[in-house]
Amino acid sequence: MSNEAASRATQDVDAHTGVGRTFWGRLSNWSPYRALMGLVTASPRRQFLILAIFPLLWVLTQHLGPMLQMVRVSLTDAYPVAPGVEQHFTLDNYARFFGDQIFWQPFFRTLIFAGGFTFCTLILTYPVAYFLARHVSRKNQMLFLLLLLIPFWVGEIVRTYAIMILLGNTGALNLVLKTLGLIDRPIPFMYTSFSMGVGIVYLTALYMLLPLYSALEKLPRSYNEAAADLGAGAWTRFRRVTLPLTIEGISSGCTLVFLISTGFYATPVLLGGPSTTTFAETIAGFFHVAGDQWPTGAAFATIMFFAALVLTAVFQKLMNALRKGDTK
Amino acid sequence: MSKLIFNRRRFLGTAAMTGAALASPAYLRRAHAQGGEVNIWTYNDFVPEAFKEQFEAETGIKVNVRLVDDQGKQFNLLAAEQPNPSVDIMTVAGHRFLQFIESDLLAPMDTDRLSNWDKINPTFSESDWSTINGNKWGVPILSGMEVLSYNTDLVTAEEAQTWDTLFSEKYKGQTAYIIQDMLSIVMLMKGYDGNFIEYADDHEKAAEIMAEIQQFMIEKKPLVRKYYDSGAEIQQMFVNQDIALGHSWNGPAAALINDGFPLAMSIPQEGSYGFVYTLNVANNAPNADNAYTFLDAMLSSPEIGAAMTKASGFISTYKDSAQYLTDLEKKSTSFPEEQLANLQFFRAEENELKYGLMDPAVEAIKAA
Repeated sequence: MSNEAASRATQDVDAHTGVGRTFWGRLSNWSPYRALMGLVTASPRRQFLILAIFPLLWVLTQHLGPMLQMVRVSLTDAYPVAPGVEQHFTLDNYARFFGDQIFWQPFFRTLIFAGGFTFCTLILTYPVAYFLARHVSRKNQMLFLLLLLIPFWVGEIVRTYAIMILLGNTGALNLVLKTLGLIDRPIPFMYTSFSMGVGIVYLTALYMLLPLYSALEKLPRSYNEAAADLGAGAWTRFRRVTLPLTIEGISSGCTLVFLISTGFYATPVLLGGPSTTTFAETIAGFFHVAGDQWPTGAAFATIMFFAALVLTAVFQKLMNALRKGDTK
Repeated sequence: MSKLIFNRRRFLGTAAMTGAALASPAYLRRAHAQGGEVNIWTYNDFVPEAFKEQFEAETGIKVNVRLVDDQGKQFNLLAAEQPNPSVDIMTVAGHRFLQFIESDLLAPMDTDRLSNWDKINPTFSESDWSTINGNKWGVPILSGMEVLSYNTDLVTAEEAQTWDTLFSEKYKGQTAYIIQDMLSIVMLMKGYDGNFIEYADDHEKAAEIMAEIQQFMIEKKPLVRKYYDSGAEIQQMFVNQDIALGHSWNGPAAALINDGFPLAMSIPQEGSYGFVYTLNVANNAPNADNAYTFLDAMLSSPEIGAAMTKASGFISTYKDSAQYLTDLEKKSTSFPEEQLANLQFFRAEENELKYGLMDPAVEAIKAA
């Protein structure tokens, strides 16, 4: 086809599709635009950079930026800076944590609570995920998942208040126990580590359930059938086949739930009692106090951030070792 | 004035509101069509909804209320925003003035711009705490006190005559209090000065006393059901019968009494502290003119003061506001003379010493 014929054919197509008349059609025919597009798509590397720049900017400004700012504040002796006050670099805020045992208790309590609640969430959600992935027909799975998602349509505070209604002295649980004649006086469930645990497990269950469901759903049924053919009982099949092959889901779910649990603030405040003070509450105390305490709060938040990361890394290493051990 | 909306059960009675409507139009007409906005940080129920709507309709000034529940949070928020704050009016308790003033967070109150300043009871507008460095710093609106609140179905009036009941084995797991406020009260219980004025020249003794109080609170920790922060929390705990008695501010307790809950308050014999909430203009407030218009409108009639009492449960500082309260509301906002004799006001002079010792004590008690 000659150039003239090709040009005529293009014009015919443009006329037919309306490309030449629409905004985008005109833009794509505009020579500066074509030159720009040619420039940015000249190489795959350049294309990658162009595509990566917006997500990178987002992560840097919205995720890393505030954290870096927090670390910066934690290394100063005054923030917000009052008029006439000069800000200095200091490590005193970190020294305050390591030098005063008062703060160790809520710190370790938070890590122990987070670990315990993560384990409880795993134990409670694994059977649900197993049932969903293995015993619910594929066409009903989405419906079940949707049902499980419904509580997450409302915020953390509303769901926490739902737990208060459930566990209060005049709440549903005490009412049922009283109606059944099992108790004369209400059991004080609220403002204890139990009520806090119920709240946190309820709030984080979905973060555990989804990775578990995903791992279980990918597991071919034939593996269990083969194990059964070889004489393995239900418990052995679960222990030797299902559990090792879903360890990736367990690892992801536990990591998510643990990290989220270490940072919960509103739930411990609303559901916890005098003996359940978490590190998040201690940190918040520094930001609430009217005075120059923000740098200490920022330092404590940084300490918890790195402690949680280190523990998560250790946990991931353990999981990896377990996985490798099983595949040997 | 026909745009009033009666959307709150506890809010103004028709008669009182009619009075307010009659009392304020002359003032509000002057401000009509001023426009713009005014940004206010205040506690829940301190700005009556009907007054806010009426003010907006009459002046064209949009009132943006941001609820706060703590003096320290306000201080930190404002300190972070200065010198360009987003707030015009904030709510500072009289005994916390100094801290805000020393950090240049408040503008002196120009009372000449408030034609209704004389409608405040002079007990509050002219008392010694309200004038610092020769200036007024806030418009007193409500006064409150630290009280012992108790469920009358479970606790007797005799038991409520002493703070000891709050720490008794009998009510183990049925009490609640705000730690910081309780520290001052326990100091009174033990015969010390919770304002720290007596220890101004002896910081060592102040530290020893605070260590003793801290130890006492830690020992009594197994008896308490909940350390709380906001008035709404203790209201909920009483309603859910999670607690039988607790330390509270009189406002939230009075609101429950007015709702018919079997609750009563006392100022125990060991004593307690009172405080006054004031509305203040922030330094460099972006809408200072609108802030003064709002404050003057708020002071324009005692019915508005009564409405604030009805909504918040705290006692109005306005002259003659009590006559617009029902008998139950009067009862819930008044105390016998012999109990009032046990009351003293929080003072600010030694706040640096006081909070320098108290804040770490609070952390220690929580962490223990």
